[in-house]
Amino acid sequence: MEALSNNLLVVVTFAYLLASVSYLGGWIITKAKALGLLATILTWAAFATHTAAIILRWLASYQIGADHAPFSNLFESLVFFGWTLALIYLIIELRTKLKPIGAFAMPLAFFAMLYALKLDPAIKPLLPALKSNWLIAHVITCFLGYAGFGVSASLSLMYLVTGKGRSPEERRFLVLDELIYQTVVVGFILLTAGIVTGSIWANSAWGTYWSWDPKETWSLITWLVYAALLHSRYMRGWQGARVAVFSLVGFVCVLFTYFGVNLLLSGLHSYAR
Amino acid sequence: MKQTEKPGGAGQRFWDFFASVKLSFVLLLSLALASVLGTLLPQKEHVSVYVQQFGESGARLILGLRLDDMYHAPWFLLLLALLAFNLVVCSLNRLPQTLKLMAKEPAAELKRSRSAQESLTLAGSPTDHLARAEAALKQAVGPVTAGQDGQTRLLFAEKGAWSRLGVYLVHLSVLVIMAGAVVGGIWGYAGFININQGSTIDHLDLDDGRQLPLGFVLRLDKFTAEFHPDGMPKEYRSEVTFLENGQEVEKAVLMVNHPAQRHGIDFYQASYGQSVTKLRANFIKDGQTQTVALAHGQWTDLEGGGKALLIEARPEVNMGGMYKGPVARVGYQPPQGEAMALTAFQAGAKIPMRGGPVSVEILELESTPYSGLQVKYDPGVWLIWLGCGLMVVGFVVAFYFAHRKVWLRLSPAGQGRCKIEIAGSTNKNRLGLTRLLERLSARLKAGAAQGE
Repeated sequence: MEALSNNLLVVVTFAYLLASVSYLGGWIITKAKALGLLATILTWAAFATHTAAIILRWLASYQIGADHAPFSNLFESLVFFGWTLALIYLIIELRTKLKPIGAFAMPLAFFAMLYALKLDPAIKPLLPALKSNWLIAHVITCFLGYAGFGVSASLSLMYLVTGKGRSPEERRFLVLDELIYQTVVVGFILLTAGIVTGSIWANSAWGTYWSWDPKETWSLITWLVYAALLHSRYMRGWQGARVAVFSLVGFVCVLFTYFGVNLLLSGLHSYAR
Repeated sequence: MKQTEKPGGAGQRFWDFFASVKLSFVLLLSLALASVLGTLLPQKEHVSVYVQQFGESGARLILGLRLDDMYHAPWFLLLLALLAFNLVVCSLNRLPQTLKLMAKEPAAELKRSRSAQESLTLAGSPTDHLARAEAALKQAVGPVTAGQDGQTRLLFAEKGAWSRLGVYLVHLSVLVIMAGAVVGGIWGYAGFININQGSTIDHLDLDDGRQLPLGFVLRLDKFTAEFHPDGMPKEYRSEVTFLENGQEVEKAVLMVNHPAQRHGIDFYQASYGQSVTKLRANFIKDGQTQTVALAHGQWTDLEGGGKALLIEARPEVNMGGMYKGPVARVGYQPPQGEAMALTAFQAGAKIPMRGGPVSVEILELESTPYSGLQVKYDPGVWLIWLGCGLMVVGFVVAFYFAHRKVWLRLSPAGQGRCKIEIAGSTNKNRLGLTRLLERLSARLKAGAAQGE
C-alpha cells in the first residue's frame, strides 16, 4: 500500500507539471480553449489521485503499526502542501473561471511535490513529542494557510507580470486585486488558527504556550507582515501593484518559516528536517 | 474623525498620532523586523558566547541593547506596549462613528438618493410590483422598510450591521492575549524538578535560581522509557503520587503531551536519566580495608570511627588514555578534624595520583532512573485561550460578514410602465454586493414575467 501511494505521488507530480504547462499554453495561445479544458481536467484528476495517495499512506501507516496521520515529517508535509495548493487553486478556478491563474499557481504545487520526491518517503513511527491529537489540527490549519498565501503570491506575480503598462482600473485587475486580498485573508485566518493550535499543543507538551522558538517566532513574523498588509488597505495609495509586491514578500516569510527555519536555525521543530 | 479637543492642539496631535493606521503599520513591521533579529542572534547565551562570535565591542553592543534576551528587552516590550496603545486609541477613535452607523434609522436611510447600479423597466404600475419587490428584497437581504415619495415607492433593507464590530473584537482579542501574557509574567512561575524513582520532593527549583515550596509532596513511583527497535524513542512515562499531610491524595501518569495538574501547578515530562544512589566501595585507611555501602547525601558510620557519604558519581568518565570507568566523589568525616572530599576510581584501576592515608575504591555503583519534570504555574493562560477564541471569531465576523444596504425605487415610467432602480452599499466585498444586486434584478424580472 505504501509503495502504491509513493508511485501515485510520482504520477501526481508530473500531472501537475503537465497541467501547469497546459494552463500556460492555454493562456498564451489565446485561441486554444482545448488546452485550458485539458489543464482543468488534468488538475482535477491529479488532485483526486493525490487525495487517494494520502489516504493510502494514512492506511499504510496503521497497517505497519506506525499508527499516525501522514503529517509528521518534511516529506509528508510537502505532499500535503502540494495538496492544499491544488485545493485552494481549484476552489478559485471554480469561483472565478479565470484559468490563467493556473499558469502561476500550479507550478507551485509541482515544485512542492518535486521537492518531496527527492526525500526519503519511508513511514516512521512518531516521536513522543508528536503524539498528540493536536498534530492533525495544527498541520492542516498551517498548511492550508501556507497554501492560501502561496496562491496569493501566484496571483500577485500574475498581477505584476500582466499588469505592466496597463491601467489598474481594468475590471480584470480589480478582480485580481480583490482575489489577492481574499486569499491573504484566508491564509491569515488559517495561519492564526495554526498558531493557536500550535500554542495549545506546546502548552500541553512543553509547559508553555509560547517560548520564542525560531519556528514560532517566524510564524509570528509572517503573521505580523500579513497583518500589516491587511492594514495597508486603509492607507492611501496602497492598492494594486504595491500590495502584490507585499504579498510576495509575505510569501518569502512563509517559505522561510517552512524551510529556512528547519535548515538554518535550530529549535523545537527539528524533527521536520 | 472625532474632535475631542481644539484642532492643532498638542493633545489633539498626540491623539491623532496614536489613532493612525500608519502607526499600526509601522509598528507591526518594526516588531516583525526586530523578531527577525532575535532569531538570527543566539538568545540567552553566556557573555563569552557573544564575545567569541562578535568580538569585544560587538558583544558590548549586543548586551547594551539587551539583544541577548531581545524578546524581553525593554525596547521590545515598549514596541508591544505602543502597539497596544495604538490599538486602544484607534478603536476608541472609530467606535462612536461605527455605533452611529449601526444605529442609523432605516426610515432615515429610505430617503437617501443613491445612484442605481441595476435598473429595469416592467409593464404595470409601481403598486403592481410592490408586493413582489418587497418579498424579493426581504428574502435577499432582510426586513424591509417601505415608504412613499409621491407616486414613487421606496423600499430599503439592510443586514449585517453587527459585523462592523468584528474588527473591534479582533483588536480586543489582541489586548486580552497581551493581558494574559502580563498576568502570567507577573504572577506565574516556571521551574524544574529532578526526582529519583522512589523518592519524594516538596519544592521546585525556579528558572531564576530560587527554590519554591510546592505546598504538597510529589513522589515518583516509577519511570519507564520505551524505544522502537531502531532506537527511536517511543514513550517516556512517569507514574507519580501526590501526597498531602502524609496522605496519598492523587495518582497521575505523566507522558510527553500528557501533563498532570495539582492545585493549578502543571507538571510536564521533560527529560530523564540515571542517577547514582548508592556506592559499594573499599574504604582504605592506614592500610586497613573495609567494604562500605554509601548512600547519596546520607552519612554512614564507619567501623573504627568517622563517617562517609556519596557526594556524586558518574558511571562512565573517559580521561583519555589515563582512565576510563566510573568516578565518584565521597565525603569523609574523620573522628577528629575537618571533613574532606575524596575522589574514587574503579578498584584495581591503575591511577598514578593515588596516595594519602585515606582512599576509596569503587566496587559497584547502584543507580535509579530519575525523571526531569518541567513545572509551571500560569494564572494568565485562560486569558490567552479566551483571546485566541475571540480573535478567530472576530476574524470570521470582520472578513466574512458585511454590512450591506439595498435600496429599491419603483417609479412610474409612463405608458403604464414601472421603472425599478436598485442601489446598494457595503463596507466590504464590493464584488459580492454586485452579484447580490444582479441576482435581485434577475429575480424581479423573472417574477414579473411569471405574474403576467
